[in-house]
Amino acid sequence: MSKPLLEIRNLAVEFGPLKRPLRVVHNVTLAVGVGESVGVVGESGSGKSITALSVLRLVPVPPARISGEIVFAGRDLLKLPLNQMPDIRGKEIGMIFQEPMSSLNPVMTIGDQIEEALLLHENWPATERRRRVIELLKLVGMPDPEGRLRAYPDQFSGGMRQRVVAAIAMACNPKLLIADEPTTALDVTIQAQVLELMLDIRRRFNSAILLISHDLGVVAEICERVVVMYAGHIMEDADTRSLFHNPRHPYTQGLLKSVPTLTETRHRLYQIQGTVPPPGTIRQGCPFRPRCPVAMDRCAVEMPPLLAHGPTHRAACWATAPEVGA
Amino acid sequence: MAKYLLFRLLDAVPTVFLVLTLVFVAMRILPGDPALAVLGASADGGQLEILRQKMGLNDPLWLQYLHFLSDAVRLDFGRSLMNDVPISRLIANNLPYTIYLTLTSVVMGLIMGIPLGVYAATQRNKPPDSILRIYSLIGYAIPDFYLGAVLLVVFSLNLGWFPINGEGVGFWDGLHHIFLPALTLAMLKSAFLGRLTRTSLLEVLGRDFIRTARAKGAREGRVIYRHGLRNALLPLSTGIGISILSTLSGSVAIELVFNRPGIGHLLIDAITERDYPVIQAGVMMFAFFVILVNLAMDVVYVFVDPRVRIKS
Amino acid sequence: MTEFSLADANPEALAEREAIAAEPGLWDTLQDVFFGRPSTMIALVVVLLFIVIAVFAPWIAPADPLRQSFLQINKLPTWSHWLGTDQYGRDVLSRLIYGSRNSLIFGLLSPVFAAICGTILGVTAGYFGGVVDRVISRVIDMLMAFPELLLAILIAAALGGSFWNIVVVLTVAFTPGFARVSRASTLAVKQEPYVEAAVAAGVRTHVIIFRHVVPNILAPIVVLMTLWSASSIRIEATLSFLGIGTQPPNPSWGNIIRDGLTNMFATQWPIVSGGLAITIVVLAISIIGDAVRDVLDPETDQ
Repeated sequence: MSKPLLEIRNLAVEFGPLKRPLRVVHNVTLAVGVGESVGVVGESGSGKSITALSVLRLVPVPPARISGEIVFAGRDLLKLPLNQMPDIRGKEIGMIFQEPMSSLNPVMTIGDQIEEALLLHENWPATERRRRVIELLKLVGMPDPEGRLRAYPDQFSGGMRQRVVAAIAMACNPKLLIADEPTTALDVTIQAQVLELMLDIRRRFNSAILLISHDLGVVAEICERVVVMYAGHIMEDADTRSLFHNPRHPYTQGLLKSVPTLTETRHRLYQIQGTVPPPGTIRQGCPFRPRCPVAMDRCAVEMPPLLAHGPTHRAACWATAPEVGA
Repeated sequence: MAKYLLFRLLDAVPTVFLVLTLVFVAMRILPGDPALAVLGASADGGQLEILRQKMGLNDPLWLQYLHFLSDAVRLDFGRSLMNDVPISRLIANNLPYTIYLTLTSVVMGLIMGIPLGVYAATQRNKPPDSILRIYSLIGYAIPDFYLGAVLLVVFSLNLGWFPINGEGVGFWDGLHHIFLPALTLAMLKSAFLGRLTRTSLLEVLGRDFIRTARAKGAREGRVIYRHGLRNALLPLSTGIGISILSTLSGSVAIELVFNRPGIGHLLIDAITERDYPVIQAGVMMFAFFVILVNLAMDVVYVFVDPRVRIKS
Repeated sequence: MTEFSLADANPEALAEREAIAAEPGLWDTLQDVFFGRPSTMIALVVVLLFIVIAVFAPWIAPADPLRQSFLQINKLPTWSHWLGTDQYGRDVLSRLIYGSRNSLIFGLLSPVFAAICGTILGVTAGYFGGVVDRVISRVIDMLMAFPELLLAILIAAALGGSFWNIVVVLTVAFTPGFARVSRASTLAVKQEPYVEAAVAAGVRTHVIIFRHVVPNILAPIVVLMTLWSASSIRIEATLSFLGIGTQPPNPSWGNIIRDGLTNMFATQWPIVSGGLAITIVVLAISIIGDAVRDVLDPETDQ
């Protein structure tokens, strides 16, 4: 396998006092290859958004403390001086956010907002930039792009705004596109359109995608590999097919069982007992243990590492551990 | 947009009417007999009768009210009781000074206050932020006339850097004369505007689109000025409106401290001399000013906030 | 220099942390605000001192504030006149001490009157709605367009200065603020299910207003009262400075400065000391006002 485009190693993010830190991301290690798309799935508070924001170093330090490595195209972004980050943001890594309604500057025209990304990174004449903005708007499926240049975000619906956000993220043909819950705030029909757009972007530009979502369906549609996070830990990391057909972590199993399907007829949807523990409340052992149907004594004292279940499948669970790995 | 502005203009009409009515009530009805109020208790019947005739006080109240309204609409304020000069001329002579002082002060206040607020916002909870907090607390507590008097005593009287009173002749001399009075008002406004800038900028910097701007690769300066401050201008423009009006009210005392001509000075002199028609005109001028500034702020808002423009 | 909160990094994390943090009680906030911040303690001491001076002025003042003495004109500070004398030979310190009575009376009286008038207007408008509301709101809006100081100057210009006129002037200047706040709070409370239930149950209007509406709008009213108390001291001083407030020879901090200004070539002590008195007291009261707001109305930040 060639060197991955993005490699996150042992990323840890914590807040709060040094003596009693509030750790929201624990030892997260994951990789995204060139042109690959990886999904990170988890409930609210699983640390997936913080992980994504850490890549662009958009998590404010302080109050946060970040350790580990985030190697992008050969450079450890966490070691880079902060004033060099703007050269990477938007240029090499584009980002799409969760709230299309509030992610755009209300007093700037959308044309100017897209153009700003080009202005910051490309040394182009104004006409060239304008041409590219129109091209981008066409690409994201905005009807009447020329006429919409001078419109303000408030004149658009949520789906249309998310297209504008996507156009901003794509403006400089980034090698990596991070999408943090890009469809969550949208209507179902619009969700499908935005996902289609992302697939299209990927096909055309061979951009790698890191998709953050709580929705397994969304991830299944776009990603080749899925990372499941729970309470700041990676619980399972597998290729999409293997994860859906043969989940190894009880948490993933629970998640999959709680997705309604049309093929099976169940009287009640499965529900994982309990709720996600607030960060800092579980300081020892596996954070999923209180809700886990197959928890063992060992789980209370020791957090399992990611154990291999084949070449492309790893899960952090003692109970389902393969004999050799334990 | 034109429709919105027209609507806003029509909306001001009842306000003007209401203000005029209140002035009429306060000036003509509350004092009982305005003629008596002008001349004092020692006046004899003959003098009172002449004055009543002159002020139109012998007409029935409703007729007085109508006369009052039509005079006001035609900006005919009558003549001064003291020196028999048309009041409109008195106002024309004094108004430019008040406007000049108010605008200079507000502009100076903005130039001082906005950078202060931006700096404090970027240094949140650090010493510069605390200093701005103390500055704005003191700026609120210290009365403008006192600050003016202190500046006058220190810089004009003791150091002799600035003239002690008057308005000066010509532009440069005028500037020399206006500097201290304007600085007095500007310092107090900058305390308020600095604090307001800080608060609204911090609020804006916490919003999602700021993160989008950062994710785009915008550097901090651009994030703060182009995205942050531009949005903070919305609440700020209301603050500027408030500043213009409070500077206007401050100008009354400041004109007195620095002995400058102006509507405030005219009004206060008229009160001391019980020159009723002039008091009435002065009060109305200030009231019109207030309505005008509020109207202007609404118009400005249309230009600052595209959302208002879109909806109207 | 990046400056933003945890919330925009991860709203979920913040929501969770807020859920963990137990809501602090009123008493805790009270302790925190009054004893945790030295500035509030100092302000409290200053205000208490100011009240003591005002109440016991005749015993504290070294001289009669009105007594003129042509032999003692324009004296600089000495042991017998700590702040010197003015152009009539009156003891500046004594005038300052007696002047504090003025400030205290107006500072206490006018916010109370304004609170009463404003609350009545605001609750009436908010509770009954309709034409009543529209008329009251229109007048409030119009008056709110005026800065309080300007409104006070204009009313004082029309009425002339006397003790009760100043009270009226300050009351009218502050009433719209109270009316607007209490109207808004009343509207909010009216929406509450328990009030709607009480209305539906046929509870009498005045009972509903006094039992449910008034207690709920008390907090913002008290906050406004402390803040206005600082404003009214400042405005009374300005009116007296302009000659339309407290009338000479009665001492007030404003007219001490007024007299001082006409006499500034001879002595500057009256100006400096009068202004310092105003500034310190207004500053102290507004610091306390901020603290009271933090206790009673924690949602509004500045």
